[in-house]
Amino acid sequence: MEKAERLSCSDAVRQFFAYLDGALAGDPLEALEEHLEACLDCCQKLDFSRTLDAYVKGRLKEEPLPEGIEERIRRRIEDKEGTER
Amino acid sequence: MDVEARRRFEDLALPHLKSLYQFALRVTGTAGTAEDLVQETFLKAIEQFPTLRDPARFKAWLFRILSRLAIDRRRGEARQVPVQVTEDIDRFSLYDLIWEEDPLPYSDHLHEDFLARFRDEEVRAALLALPEAYLVPLLLVYLEGMKYRELAEILDLPMGTVMSRLHRGRKILERQLWECAKQRGLVKTWKKPSD
Repeated sequence: MEKAERLSCSDAVRQFFAYLDGALAGDPLEALEEHLEACLDCCQKLDFSRTLDAYVKGRLKEEPLPEGIEERIRRRIEDKEGTER
Repeated sequence: MDVEARRRFEDLALPHLKSLYQFALRVTGTAGTAEDLVQETFLKAIEQFPTLRDPARFKAWLFRILSRLAIDRRRGEARQVPVQVTEDIDRFSLYDLIWEEDPLPYSDHLHEDFLARFRDEEVRAALLALPEAYLVPLLLVYLEGMKYRELAEILDLPMGTVMSRLHRGRKILERQLWECAKQRGLVKTWKKPSD
């Protein structure tokens, strides 16, 4: 429990998003996981961060491409290449 | 560039059109501006295509171009109310505020029910209000599931900066949602400290 004791709640909270994004490894990950085992308040806050992330992502649903966009891009590339040749 | 090289570019680039457009849409907020940005990305990319060293990293390379163009474009725009970012934002906690305010006293799932009261467009507006330095990496995580190492490369930032921007970006988003809740009257009894 040594590492968990060293990690304060505010330090733990600062690592939540890196943890959720899968960017923590080694000692920092171990220290956070040990802290979470011992701190219910941080577990609940982490759950909320996870919920909020999923909630926001859910509001970014894929929108259809504007009609004809691919054709317009091809044409602009052709025009650009044509003028530069 | 000869026709064959141009075709090769289009074959590599066009399959990513949908992802690029979704990102551009969320970073600009409007379909027309998003298309402009994507077109500009393709033109810039074909210009730099002959210097591309690693075709396996083509998608990341396109996002690097698009991200830079998006950041430049947003910096050039005067936003109506620029979002203030101060050091204390790192400690902002929407979780604590909802808990303290308890806007839905009969709810068994207070935090989830609170979030459910926002309209989709309000959440997107809250996100769009983020300064570009925070919005761009956050969208790359949300939409593309990019790893911190890729973000560091795409945005030319040290890993520590990527990490702090993704933390701070989410904290700014939490604050924007709280402000929106106050304006909408979702939080009824909250008073400014100065009142």
